[in-house]
Amino acid sequence: MTIAVKDVTLARNGRTVLHQLNLNMDERRIGLVGVNGAGKSSLLRLLNGLLLPDQGQVTVHGLDTQASRAQLPGSVGFIFQNPEHQIVFPTSLEEIAFGLRERGLDAKAATAVARDFLTRHNCADWCERSVAELSDGQKQHLCILAVLVCEPALIVLDEPFSSLDLRARNMFLRLLASLPQQIVMASHDLDAMRDFDRLIWLDDGRVAGDGTPENVLRAYRAHCDAQAAP
Amino acid sequence: MIAPHVAQQTWLHRIGAGTKLLALAVVSILLGWMSEWVPLLIAFVVILGVYIVTIPSAGTRLKLYRPLLPLLVGIGLLQIYASGWEIALATLLRLVAMMALADLVTATTPMLDMMDALQPVFRLLRPLGLDERRLSLAVALMLRFIPVIMSEWGKREEAWRARTGRRPPLRLLAPFLSDVLRLADHASEALTARGFDMARSDRVDRGTR
Repeated sequence: MTIAVKDVTLARNGRTVLHQLNLNMDERRIGLVGVNGAGKSSLLRLLNGLLLPDQGQVTVHGLDTQASRAQLPGSVGFIFQNPEHQIVFPTSLEEIAFGLRERGLDAKAATAVARDFLTRHNCADWCERSVAELSDGQKQHLCILAVLVCEPALIVLDEPFSSLDLRARNMFLRLLASLPQQIVMASHDLDAMRDFDRLIWLDDGRVAGDGTPENVLRAYRAHCDAQAAP
Repeated sequence: MIAPHVAQQTWLHRIGAGTKLLALAVVSILLGWMSEWVPLLIAFVVILGVYIVTIPSAGTRLKLYRPLLPLLVGIGLLQIYASGWEIALATLLRLVAMMALADLVTATTPMLDMMDALQPVFRLLRPLGLDERRLSLAVALMLRFIPVIMSEWGKREEAWRARTGRRPPLRLLAPFLSDVLRLADHASEALTARGFDMARSDRVDRGTR
């Protein structure tokens, strides 16, 4: 089992956001849908130990998130909604090298690997460029490269398209499709998850739907339409 | 550092971060010792000359420092009132020269190099329980997020002007500071997700527990 969520309950700010959740996730591309506050972001944060469950257990690629929290960033890469919030360094080269140095490479080796990595991903001209000069799409691209350079087994994405225009969104989707890693992504961009292997619909911290994107999206859309009706 | 890092390689890029920081400290001390406005003016002209020759599009870059003008004017007026125009001029020349020097260093030094150069200095603070890695990263984060924070303020200012047609009032600072704190929280979460100090981190969230 690659990801196992067993009887997980989680409360945040005095409110229970996940109720005795049970999920086994083996598929390569898994999408999470649900209205705001449904528990999607909380579930994603459980997968890399940013949050720990109040009850229950989460195991990701053989690592218990509670017992092996320090090892998780090596196995789980996390892409946040706003790239501006996660880019730490002023140049792309340093941003890529930072993750490598956190994993023990010295400055020279980390910079060399980062330069080579950017070149292999056709971004050699970004090396010395200021991050401030990159477009939003390029910044999000840089964020995923910063994650990929650390070779995680799982990539978790929380609303990665919200700041992207259509062109950047499509390019980012193509990049995601080419990755061999397991992906778990929460998004309101339902079309982006049409071709995923599995879709999970969360509603008020519980699984309201789980299955193929076609079936889950139909049910989710119908539910939202009914809720929005006057 | 309000303006971004300069990508184009200059002669200053080739000098080590430690050497540049040391030079910055020495020149700043020398500027601090000077009390007459005439030698300070000469030093200011020399530093500005180096700045213009070294930094590509120096004029455009200097324009980014415009938000600091009201502060400098305030300091100048206060000094004229308290000590006369000569002291005021000397103070302003010293301040601007130091700022230009600091910008020269940050614009031409990769942040990772800067962190490496600062760590031995911060190591002296270990007896106080401070961690040199965290401190040097804090410096990097501060430099990186100044333009982001200024852009956030710009958006708030624009939204206020769009709705009222007036300059933003001071009370806009409260929601702005709240935004900045939220930004700090996001950045901290992103660093944790990338494994920074994970083993030693005490920032384990368990919902509300």
